[in-house]
Amino acid sequence: MRTLRQKIAEDPFLGLLLVAPLLFWVIVTLVYPLLYASQLGFYNVRYVGAPARFIGLSNYSRILGDPNFWKACLRSLIWTVCNVAFQVLGSLLVALVLNQRFRGRTLIRNWIILPWVLPTVVLAIMWTWILDPTHGVVNYLLKSGGLIASPLKFLSSPQWVMPTVIFINVWRWTPYFAIIVLAALQTIPKELMEAALVDGASVMRRFWHITLPTIRPVLSVITLISFLWSINIFDTIWLLTRGGPLDFTTTLPIYIYKRAFQDFRFSEAAAMSVIMFLFLLGFAVAYLRTLFREGAEG
Amino acid sequence: MKGIKTVAKYLSVFAVISFFASPMYWVLICSFKPTPELLSLKPTFVPHSFTLEHYRRLFQQVDFLRYYYNSFLVASSTALITALAATFAAYSVYRCRYPGRRFMFRLFLVSYVFPKILVLIPLYILFARIGILDSPLALVAAHVTLTAPFSVWILRAFFESVPKEVEEAALVDGATRVQIIFRIFIPLAAPGVAAVGINAFLMSWSEYLFASTLVISDQFKTLPVGMSFFLQQYAIEWGIMMAGSVLIALPPIIGFAIAGKYFIQGLTAGSVK
Repeated sequence: MRTLRQKIAEDPFLGLLLVAPLLFWVIVTLVYPLLYASQLGFYNVRYVGAPARFIGLSNYSRILGDPNFWKACLRSLIWTVCNVAFQVLGSLLVALVLNQRFRGRTLIRNWIILPWVLPTVVLAIMWTWILDPTHGVVNYLLKSGGLIASPLKFLSSPQWVMPTVIFINVWRWTPYFAIIVLAALQTIPKELMEAALVDGASVMRRFWHITLPTIRPVLSVITLISFLWSINIFDTIWLLTRGGPLDFTTTLPIYIYKRAFQDFRFSEAAAMSVIMFLFLLGFAVAYLRTLFREGAEG
Repeated sequence: MKGIKTVAKYLSVFAVISFFASPMYWVLICSFKPTPELLSLKPTFVPHSFTLEHYRRLFQQVDFLRYYYNSFLVASSTALITALAATFAAYSVYRCRYPGRRFMFRLFLVSYVFPKILVLIPLYILFARIGILDSPLALVAAHVTLTAPFSVWILRAFFESVPKEVEEAALVDGATRVQIIFRIFIPLAAPGVAAVGINAFLMSWSEYLFASTLVISDQFKTLPVGMSFFLQQYAIEWGIMMAGSVLIALPPIIGFAIAGKYFIQGLTAGSVK
């Protein structure tokens, strides 16, 4: 006779019925677009409703020979690597600070995520104002501190714009990851730390031999998440700089957008996004493996 | 020695808080400064006078209420649909057993690494063909895709915390599966559902790429698109922008004050085993 537990578990009809709405949605708005974009890449569609002609791999060969495409890839690489490095290190640092025992820590630990809660357009307005060359408070402070003679054009000079946009994005995402690292830090058994303290282990030794090994799985998960999210970021860069000045912040998503909606080369943009997706898929598989190695599957 | 340690501890905490809080403090106080003080070349760190003129002018010069209404409509619809679809799907994936369940779970997990830009072009063409381009509906459809699959993942920890025995007891008492889901399961996992709804609201409220391409006419524009237009002006009206920023940031902050605890719970439980 089947037990009750099995009876609950084995009702395939209900299970499929419940998952159907989301599955349908994902197929229509993700799987179909993916297939459609791959197909579009072989045609020469320039805008919606334009007649399509099959041109084989022409789009792909044009992209691979386009120096601007490779420049955008390089900028994406710089953008992503810097973002991941600073977000992961920054979140570790912030989490270690907030892991101390201090007054009001519950409140602070919950509200530290506020920069992430801010809508992107607010983020853009806020930093454009703060970093403004004429009225911005940062230039005022640097100037009155005697650090600079003339105001820095953070968002409009070629040498400053990329570091500035990276800084702003890191400022926003660090608290988000810090919360996750903080939760991991709190899983370290108190007895272990106390025993190490009794044995006279220094702060550095405790960090290297107890803290770091415990939170390493979480650090690898957030490294991958940060990578996948950073590389796809469009809104923040676009609202701050529109990819400028002179393409200096035109990362791959920005370049694809410009090709599609400013140069009206839908097919070429679709082909580029397919290339980007295939590249990301490799990392997505790595991400799933990391997650499942932690035994996270339901 | 102990005194120095305490001082160092509070200094480090203070440094972290001010690094993240001071830009927000700055925008908040600037939104209340009269224009001469706001644009003065010697900024005041504690405002000398207080005015609501920027807020008044915001409503006069920008169709702010319309954008606000549009954003609210899109974000709450997205939150509602996401919460429903993700709850059902999560129940199915975590509590039912059928062939293809593991695949389904992985599909949802992978879907949030899609480049948004990859989906944008085909969706734009698809929506244009079926005639829903340039409507709030198109935006909601796109936003649910951004939020729902990840929500299934957030819900995992909450759903696993509901003991199987509770469901079994209800089944013995003659309740149907659908009754169990609505009367027992969802109330018990309510914090998770709230977290998912808040997250979806935040994402949709803030989203710019889809909002700026799938909606064209001014009457359907959402806040991020409406306000970003003013960011591109040659002479930016800073007072109005500050006031607008405060008002745009307000609903997410309120939402977070209400359900942020659960959101953080879901976020951390998903990543930390």
